Amino acid sequence: MKKKLTLLSILLLVLTVQISHAQEKTISGTVFESEGPLPGANILVKGTSNGTQTDFDGKFTLPDVNSSDIIVISYVGYKTLEIPVGTQTTITATLEADNTLDEIVIVGFGSRTKELSTSAVSTVTGKDIENLVPSTSLDNALQGKAAGVQVVGANGRPGQTAFVQIRGIGSLSASTTPLYVVDGVPIDANDVNNINPNDIENFSILKDAATVSLYGSRGANGVVLITTKKGKSGEAKISFNSSIGYSQRIPDPFDLFDAAGKLEIERQFAELGVTAAQSLPGATSSPEELAELIALDTDWEQELLRQGFIQNNSLSISGGDDKLNYFLSLAYSKNTGVIDRIDGFERTSLRLNTSYQAKKWLKVNTNISLSRNTSDLPRDRNNVQNPFRALYDYNPYEPLFLRDADGNIEVDENGDNVFNPTSTGFPIARALQTEPEDNRNFLIIGSLGADIKLSDNFSNNFLVGATSNRFNRTNRSLAGGVLQGFVGDANFPGTQTDNASVDLRYNVTNTFSYKDTYNGVHNLQADFLLEYIERIFTSQFSTSRGFPSPDIPFQDVATEAQTAGSNEARNRLFSQGLFLTYDYDRKYVVSGSIRRDTSTRFSPNNQEGYFWSGSAAWNISNEDFLADNSTISNLRLRASLGTAGNQAIGDFQFLDLAGFSTFNGNPALIPFGLGNPNIQWEAQRTLDIGVEWGLFNNRLNGVVDFFQRNSDELLLPRPLSLTQGDQNNSITTNVGEIENQGLEVSLNYDIIRNSAIKFSVGGNISFQLNNEVVSLLDGADIINGNTILREGEELNTFFLPRYAGVNPANGAPLYLDQNDAITDNFSADFQTLLDGKSPAPDIQGGFYTDFSWKGFSVRSDWAFQSGNYILNFQRQQGVAIGNIDSNLRTEALNFWRQPGDTNVLPSPLFQATADQTSTRFLEKGDFLRLRSLTLAYSLPSSFTENLFISSLRIYGTGQNILTVSGFEGDPEVGIGSAETSAPGAAGFVAGAFNLFSYPQTRSYTFGVEVGF
Amino acid sequence: MKKIKLTIVSALLLSMTYSCSDEIDNLEPFTSVNPIAFLEGPASFQTAVDGMYNQIFGYYSSPGSALQGIPDILSDNAVLVTTGRRSNEVYYDYQYTAATGGAIGLYFSQAYNAINISNIVISQIDKLPEGDTRDNILGQALAGRALAHFDLARVYGPIPSQSNNAISELGVSYIKVEDGDVDFDVPTPIFPERESIGSNYEEILEDLLAASTLISESNSEGRLTRNGVFGLLSRIYLYLGQYQNAIDSSNEVSTAIATQEDLSSIYIDATNAGIVIELSVNTAGSEANFNNVGVIYSQGSLDDAGNITNTISEYAVDFEFFNSIDDSDIRKGIIQFDSANGDAEHNGIRKFLGESGQVNGRLDIKVMRAAEVLLNRVEAQFELGFEGQALTGLNQLRELRFFGDDLPENNDNDTTNDIVFIPGTETGQALEDAIQFERRVELAFEGHRFFDLKRRGESIQRSTFGDLRDGTGTPAEVLTLPAGDTRFQFPIPIAEINANTNYTQNPGY
Repeated sequence: MKKKLTLLSILLLVLTVQISHAQEKTISGTVFESEGPLPGANILVKGTSNGTQTDFDGKFTLPDVNSSDIIVISYVGYKTLEIPVGTQTTITATLEADNTLDEIVIVGFGSRTKELSTSAVSTVTGKDIENLVPSTSLDNALQGKAAGVQVVGANGRPGQTAFVQIRGIGSLSASTTPLYVVDGVPIDANDVNNINPNDIENFSILKDAATVSLYGSRGANGVVLITTKKGKSGEAKISFNSSIGYSQRIPDPFDLFDAAGKLEIERQFAELGVTAAQSLPGATSSPEELAELIALDTDWEQELLRQGFIQNNSLSISGGDDKLNYFLSLAYSKNTGVIDRIDGFERTSLRLNTSYQAKKWLKVNTNISLSRNTSDLPRDRNNVQNPFRALYDYNPYEPLFLRDADGNIEVDENGDNVFNPTSTGFPIARALQTEPEDNRNFLIIGSLGADIKLSDNFSNNFLVGATSNRFNRTNRSLAGGVLQGFVGDANFPGTQTDNASVDLRYNVTNTFSYKDTYNGVHNLQADFLLEYIERIFTSQFSTSRGFPSPDIPFQDVATEAQTAGSNEARNRLFSQGLFLTYDYDRKYVVSGSIRRDTSTRFSPNNQEGYFWSGSAAWNISNEDFLADNSTISNLRLRASLGTAGNQAIGDFQFLDLAGFSTFNGNPALIPFGLGNPNIQWEAQRTLDIGVEWGLFNNRLNGVVDFFQRNSDELLLPRPLSLTQGDQNNSITTNVGEIENQGLEVSLNYDIIRNSAIKFSVGGNISFQLNNEVVSLLDGADIINGNTILREGEELNTFFLPRYAGVNPANGAPLYLDQNDAITDNFSADFQTLLDGKSPAPDIQGGFYTDFSWKGFSVRSDWAFQSGNYILNFQRQQGVAIGNIDSNLRTEALNFWRQPGDTNVLPSPLFQATADQTSTRFLEKGDFLRLRSLTLAYSLPSSFTENLFISSLRIYGTGQNILTVSGFEGDPEVGIGSAETSAPGAAGFVAGAFNLFSYPQTRSYTFGVEVGF
Repeated sequence: MKKIKLTIVSALLLSMTYSCSDEIDNLEPFTSVNPIAFLEGPASFQTAVDGMYNQIFGYYSSPGSALQGIPDILSDNAVLVTTGRRSNEVYYDYQYTAATGGAIGLYFSQAYNAINISNIVISQIDKLPEGDTRDNILGQALAGRALAHFDLARVYGPIPSQSNNAISELGVSYIKVEDGDVDFDVPTPIFPERESIGSNYEEILEDLLAASTLISESNSEGRLTRNGVFGLLSRIYLYLGQYQNAIDSSNEVSTAIATQEDLSSIYIDATNAGIVIELSVNTAGSEANFNNVGVIYSQGSLDDAGNITNTISEYAVDFEFFNSIDDSDIRKGIIQFDSANGDAEHNGIRKFLGESGQVNGRLDIKVMRAAEVLLNRVEAQFELGFEGQALTGLNQLRELRFFGDDLPENNDNDTTNDIVFIPGTETGQALEDAIQFERRVELAFEGHRFFDLKRRGESIQRSTFGDLRDGTGTPAEVLTLPAGDTRFQFPIPIAEINANTNYTQNPGY
């Protein structure tokens, strides 16, 4: 108490002094670092909000300064300097590079200096991702940025979240996505696309047991902690960023037939006697008719797709003083996507983060974010309702609009052009307009927290967080539209279904901490955690039919309400944990943790899981013998061992369940799930050994980590015999163990760092040393379509019939049967495990180059992977003999014609055996992709001063502008086709095949960033 | 000050620890129930039985794979329309493998789903007091279990009458809770082996005969009845070549054959005349989006006046078959309509287009009609050498379908120009052919033809005519499926082979 009084009196004194010396002056100066001026350094009058930043030449001017003031000069990565003003009017200061070990890492339930962390943590800052198109979901931005973090763009759909896997596949169950935590609030991975990337201060990716064990049952797939920006003391900083651009489909590395070419292959097929080709125009048309058809040559990509339009605007205002700080942001982004005739994806978001030091011992924090996105993008399916399939399928001699006998475009009674149903019978261009689907998500993420300082040694942090996502979907089939003709009811024209759901998740987290130092060298910290998490999901839907007008999308006006429903789901988790850290003089650090989770996902006998970890680090560079070493600026070793769990399975899998349908209007009981009362927590044990080093004042630094992860008691929906009669045909079971070993290396090198030129390069690479199935229940294989889990083999190894080329004598496709004998038969039973070929890459990573000179800068970001295989279904469709009624790839013409032909496709006469799925369509998925290339120019302060702004940056970014790959298609494959195999569905394997999902896009954006 | 802070924090910690632990234990499923515990009282038992019907309806009505339609696509009745979506082409061309999607997987899984529910009902039946209600529920469950197993046995295994050794060949697993094949007290995964066809049919008969003494004479629409059980028995005895039993069973069926006036109304669900087993769908209400079986044949569109403007046919009536039906046969117009997809004109399949004024294909499933029961009897009589009785029965149906004085061109009050029905007089082979032809026409596109050819050990011989209305266009790629070909038995779905190592694949796959 006495101390407080003293402080208070000093404060009063300072105030009085300030008042009495209210003689203000303007200070100017220059800030340097060791090799030149330091732009962007923060200059602040201590204890006030009066501050500025140095310009490009390291210069600043700050008005309203008193001689009693203290100027605080700070910059990330440098030691903060405090200079009493006194009589000076110009200040020249040089900041010393800070030992980067003081870098703060966010490690979950608190932060730690990197020096005292025992964990493998990758940090990606907001700055690292600022150049990416903001409508890209946040997680996509992490691609290639951090070692061991595998990010695959799921597809190119605007707003689509990515597949993020940390250290490969550590679970067989549906979920291998990491846990996302935004400012202490866990959020659903699907909601990541509703976060404004401009709000991100940094990502902290927790990879090893030392930190993920703290998250217990939810940490098994790793944890991505997202920290949003906070206001910094000083005058309000206003930043405005606006960009526009366009996107387009990445061109295919192959050609489709044009009208003439397609007609010719039809003719050739028909001539050979292929039945399916006999009635096609290429076979039946007269030369005049052929000429007419060729004249109609249509590029369906042109007709169905367009250049997408991208627009982003964001504004942020931040600032604060020594008690209160705030960060306010507002952003809008739009990406129409490349499908013509629809609006695409839009997002508006708002955020306010504040923190207030209410009392000396009490700090209250509030973060709130509201965001809404809308999308009318079509669902991802593999049928005639998919424009990305249509552009490959539609024959080039079939034009967008129907032609009458005279070759003129047909018009309907309203004078509108009549869309051509094409040979597929489904005019997708029209269907996009008559079958609109509109999705809206409104996401609120909020947290309220209080930090209570009980004494010098004890403190308590209390946090309540909640996320609520309201989802609405309006799915309409307009009267007179494409689908109504087929499935509608003539007496009730038009149907509409509205879905609504609210996904509310909240957590109450309390951390009670003790911290003390003994004898000046023994430092101890202990945290006791209590956490309660609940998810409440409610949903409703209703369908009506009979709409008086297609312009009123509300069921109130419908003549008949048809069906409706509502549902609810909940699950809960209660946890207690104790975390300890001890260090001796910042040289030796040891940590330990234990956590108990109780989950409603398991039967009462198995619902408790215990997770522990132990870890240690040795800061060798803090030892006396390295203290004066000028080469080695940082060297540390660390190791950790611990467990985490996974409970990413459905609710109530331990119970036998039945639901309800109807039969002739009466309720009908449908048993759908055989329960397994014995299921228990999936358990993972991870060993991590790492070394971190920095040379030459950390200009060259790197991290190498080796890990081995054993995931045991893996939860998997195990296929049941169909004779069981279980609707789900599966039972959730702890089926076995997998092992995962990897090596991760990351490197950064500031090659040139002087006042004029800065050039740095860096990157990371992860090697998958081993990812194999160690054991399975009863040793039985688990076959999952075209991939297999088998003891001793790599996870999800492809399991396909082996193609053995074309018989040069007769053009028949050949296969290897079960006994490795060549045969011209085909059987699904020829499926064979293909050693070492799986959808998982052996090597992956990313690298960057960053060059700047004066105000100019060029940055490139690359991502690569190698060693994975993809089943190229799109190519199979593009050369299938049975698809002769659809357009094909020009490659299809290269078929066997005469004895002796080699390197050809099978003769079209062998459709039955040739069109089968086999290794013929299994291709290497290696690629190197220039993820982004950014050119930027920051105007010198001499200009900006005249414009009354503090900074101005203009930039242009190209995304996905270069790809190097041998794959016959786009090699970046995540979702094959969501409605064929959806992420999260049983048996889904990311990247296993492509099947006309939304393609990756290339985009160019141009923007301007202004600071006030 | 410090005390207050500590008190606040301690209270927080304690209250969290206790209240949260409680919450974990108080969570129950929201919209699902334990299937065994749910069965309390007759209404809940009937709900479970309706679940069984729901599953059988599912595989009979699937718009992509309906058992009401696939057997016609597999036969010589239908021709693939090249301007359609080429759905089920793999089936039409007999190129299916164990991994083929659609019917192969659907029938297997949904028939067993139905069987599972019937077993649940049978295992818990003692919860109901003895009496008619309990008997009727047990009877339905037994009959449903038999029907589902019968469908499995005839799809995935040979039919006893098709060859001499058929009964000793592989059938399916007959899952029966009474025999301990499955246990609902401690539900665990089962991995049964295949049994012989002979054993399958024995158990089917056993269940049906038990059901015949329990089930009610009538039940509400869509549910099995005593007539249905005996109708099924007449067909199954025919499949077994037990002709006297077939005759006796068909004589137990009291349902009258649909009259000429009623016949067309059956296919728009305006009447249930002559229907012995039906799986119904309540199109007016909550089931307006249930399976629309007709989509397996075609999808049409209507103009504002209710006329069919365009039809995307998947399959059309085979030209030769269509033209083999006499113009005086009312069924000619019930089977076919003039359909067109753009410029391509076809003999569209009229049965299962939709209810009156609809082309959405959403209709009740006709599993068995009285006409079939009669034809079962007639065939059995012929086989036993009672040709006279067989001919009488055949003529009875022919007369009902004969289109006399109502022919449009002589629909006047002048009876002298009416065409008069002349009863047939066939004997021997001609009579046998006539019986089969009558069966083909009467039951066309209702899921019989493939099984009738199969059970009689005949080949499938398709015509060389094309898919267009005038017989031109593209003919079938595969014209013949020789008698005894392994493709007469579907492969066991790959999912079953993979999940259950005890299950053997059929020969030829």
